[in-house]
This record gives sequence, structure tokens and C-alpha cells, in this order.
Amino acid sequence: MLRIDGVSRSFGGVYAVRDVSLGVAEGEAHGVIGPNGAGKSTLFNLITGHLAAERGTISFDGVRVDRMPPHRRAALGVSIVFQGARVFHGMTVRENVMVGAHSRTRAGFAAAALRLPRHRREEREIAERADRELARVGLTEWAGHPAGSLPFGRQRAMQLARALCAGPRLLLLDEPASGLRAGEREALAVLVEELRATGLTIMLIEHDVAFVARLVDRVTVLDLGRIIAQGTPERIRSEPAVVSAYLGEST
Amino acid sequence: MKRALPGVLAGAVTLALPAFLDDSALAVYIFLGLAAMVTVGVSLLMGYAGQVSLGQGAFYAVGAYTAGLLTVQGGPPLAGLLAAPVAAAAFALVVGVPLLRLRGHHLAFATLATQLILLSLAGQLEFTGGDIGLQGIPQFSAGSFEVGGAAGYAYLTWAGLALVMLVTRNVIASRAGRGLRALATSETAAASSGVPVGRYKLAVFSLSAAFAGLAGGIYAFYVGYVAPGSFPVLLSVEYIVMAVVGGLGTVWGAVAGAAVITLLVQVLNVVGTLPGMPSYAPGVLSYAVYALVLIVVVLFLPRGLVPSVAGRLPARRGRSRPRAARPDPDLRT
Repeated sequence: MLRIDGVSRSFGGVYAVRDVSLGVAEGEAHGVIGPNGAGKSTLFNLITGHLAAERGTISFDGVRVDRMPPHRRAALGVSIVFQGARVFHGMTVRENVMVGAHSRTRAGFAAAALRLPRHRREEREIAERADRELARVGLTEWAGHPAGSLPFGRQRAMQLARALCAGPRLLLLDEPASGLRAGEREALAVLVEELRATGLTIMLIEHDVAFVARLVDRVTVLDLGRIIAQGTPERIRSEPAVVSAYLGEST
Repeated sequence: MKRALPGVLAGAVTLALPAFLDDSALAVYIFLGLAAMVTVGVSLLMGYAGQVSLGQGAFYAVGAYTAGLLTVQGGPPLAGLLAAPVAAAAFALVVGVPLLRLRGHHLAFATLATQLILLSLAGQLEFTGGDIGLQGIPQFSAGSFEVGGAAGYAYLTWAGLALVMLVTRNVIASRAGRGLRALATSETAAASSGVPVGRYKLAVFSLSAAFAGLAGGIYAFYVGYVAPGSFPVLLSVEYIVMAVVGGLGTVWGAVAGAAVITLLVQVLNVVGTLPGMPSYAPGVLSYAVYALVLIVVVLFLPRGLVPSVAGRLPARRGRSRPRAARPDPDLRT
């Protein structure tokens, strides 16, 4: 479904991602691990379009997307949950999630200004959809609250609901468990397993190898912008290159 | 319904008011209403979509010149009035493509420069009448109905403001409005949710320009004369002050801000022209008042008049309504 071919991106002469190629099959859960600065988030930004690749190609469902702006990739079904909370301020939790449905809805400025019936119907559908996703992440009772007032863990859950509200085909999760408390981590893991069971294709960046191993089919290990290993979680854990990258050369 | 009551009441009172005002009071009423129309656009642009414009006076001027140019030669005034917002929006669309790549104070200065360039062009070109401007713009009429006195323009202004407020309210609470409020905090996250950030910024910029253009069109018919001197840069500053004083990102705040500032300037004008006051008093007082009011509001009512007052009413608390977006601190570099 996702095909990355020889992609590179540098910042000020230093490669953040260098000649990375990987494929993710439909329905696969794919982990991306590696030490800090390995280029994991850069790789995600290249997939979503927030960064342009200097070399290489990215295709999604057979369509070249590497020159497309982010909102068009979102329309094709690429959704991301960023590392931070990324709350849209001044909006309620429900409205934040409703923004997620942007690419699957159509009503523009004119329809809104004139309050056309089509627009009203669509608004109702978006709200219902948002409420379904809020229920899925356990935020139903917070729907009417200002999004900024949520505790951090719930803001993350809200961001996940927003991504799901887009009805994604590929869901990118950038360290979704970081900063969460143990109970929240567990709830997140259960949710990711549920999403996997529905056949959603998922890519997951994570520091915690054990957490990834439980949730994904295959793992790509990055170090200094290059792929140093790829395979099932079991294989990766015994790979000498991975062990040295994580634990240091001398051990 | 209870929530709509103050608005309906304000609408009814202001609609009835022109019948009781004399011509000089009507002039204040009309200028207040026109300023409010522009300020609602500023509030939409700055408060909801997070973009700054110090050039709304330019769009006001485009609207006024459009209405003037179309009717001075005998064109139908209705066409002139309808063309005013369209021309202003089109102008904003053209200048917005390069300008909206800028952010924050860069964008503010670029929009300010746009107005300066436009004014000097209008002062040089022959078809705009140069520095003398366009004179003899006819009274506004639509079909056999002609607006004669100031009261007619007061009603026209009222209707224009009502339209602008209604459109703004509808847009804010819609899919498009959510996209705007989202990109105000984080363009990255908004784009990833499918919001076409560039196009939306351009659209809201044009919409706010259309509001200013409509106000400019009404202005041209009412005053009957437009010249570069009618649209000083101070005008653009004034709209920002009005929007901030009233409360950015609230439709009623923009109207309240326009009302407070317009009336305050009137009072100061009266004071400044009292016998015994020096000749420079009116000018100094009006400039000083913008600065002073802005400082006082930012210090003591940073959210603006309307949100501050509304926040004190316990019945309104906890109600979720669209509010101004706050930029994400971690995204500003």
C-alpha cells in the first residue's frame, strides 16, 4: 500500500533520512524504532508531506504522492497523530475531532454562508461521526469542553479521534504512548489492537521496544537516518546491529 | 432563544434609531456601521484565522473607488454597490497569493505597504481622478427606489452590517470555519487533517476584503466623493484597534469595538474643538486615543470588551461557542 523508494532528506548538509526504502502492505502494522535523532519523525513528515524528499519516491496505493501537499495526501487517506498534543485552541473537543473529517466532506465558504440544506445535513453527519470516534477513545463526556482544558493524555486521545474521524487508510502514530500514564498506555495499546483487527494499516514510531513488539507485524530500525534492520519483532530483538545501536558498541 | 435576545434587541434598537437622529448624528451612525463592517472582517481574519492585516483600508478604498468609477459615468448604482465587494475580494485574491506566504508582523507590514502603493497609484492615475479623486458620485438607487437622505444610508448600512455579521457567524460555525480556526493554531496539524491551508487563508483574506469593499461602496454613495486622502493608513490601524478593543474573534466584539472607538473619537473631536483649545488638539487627541485605548485594553482586558463582560456573566460560563484561536507556542519559531 505504501512504497518508499530511496528517499533522502538532509538538514544543513546532515542527512536526517538517507536512502530509505520500505514497503508497508495493506492491513500491516509496521513499527519504526531507533534511537533519538535516527530520523523516525522525519520519515513520517516525508510520508505526510510536511517535508519534501530531496531524492526518491513515495507512492501510496500506486499513486506518486511525494510532490503532493499534505492536505491532498490526507484526502487519499493518510492520517497522522503527532508527537505533541497539537490541540486546535479555541475549539471544543468535538470541534477538534470534526476538523478531522475535513477531507471527506465538501461544503465550502459559500454553502456555509448561505446555510444551504446540503451543508446542514453534512454538518450533522460530521458531528455524528466525531461523536462515534470520541466514544471509541473514551472522550464522550468531554465533547463539549474547550479542547485546551483537557489533560495531556486526553488531548492525545482527542488527536487520535481526530485522525480516525478522517476515515484513514494509513494511520501514522508518532510515539503515541510518550508522556502517557500506565493506564493510558494500556488503553492505547488495546485501541491500536482493535484498529489492527479492523484491517487498518498502521505505522507506529516508538522508543519502547516491548510496546512495539506487542503491536506490530514488522519493524524497521533506523539509526542515523539509515535502515539498519528490518523484520519481525522477534528477529529484530536478536539482531546485533540493533542491540549495538540501542545499547552502545561496547556492551 | 435566550442567547439571541441581546442581539435581537440591539438589532431592533439600532434599526429604529435613524428615525430619531438628525443629520450630523446620522453621519456618526453611518460611519460607525461602516467601520463595524470592516472590523467584523478584521476579527474574522485575525481572531479566527490568525492572519494579520494592516491594509483593510486598501480594500475599503477599492470598494469605494469601484462604486465611484462605475457610477460617475452613469452606470447603475446597484451594480456599483454589488461590484464593490467583488472587486475588493478579487484584489485581495491577487495580492494575497504572494502576501499570505508571510506571517505575523511581516504580513502586517506587507499589507500596510499594499495600501500605501494603492493610494499613491490612485493619486497618480488619471482614471481615478488623481489626488483630486472622483466627484459627483450619484445617490444610491435600485430600480425606481432612490436613497435620498442620510436616514436611507443609515438603513443601507444597517442592512450591510447585518449581512456581514450573519455571513461571518455562519462561516465560523461551519466546516470551513473549523478549518480556519484549526490553521490559526497549527497549520501543520490542520493540513494533515485535510485543510488546504494556503487556499483557506486566501479565502478568508478575500472574504474580509469583501466586507471592507462593501462598506467602501456604501461610503462612496453616501459621501459622493472619493479621493486618496479619504483612506489614510490610520484607517487600517483604527480597524485593528476596534477589533482588539471589542475582542478579537467575536462578531459582537467587533461591533462593540467599532462603536466604542467611533463614539470616543466623536467626543474627543468635540473636546478638541472647544474654544480655547490649541489648533492641533483634535489631531493629537485622536491619534493619542488609539494608542491609549489599545494599551489600556491590552493591559487590563486582554481578551477585549465583549469576551471580558460575557465571561463575568455566570449564566454564560461553560457554554461552548467558537472563540478566538490562540497560536500554539511550540509551533512559532
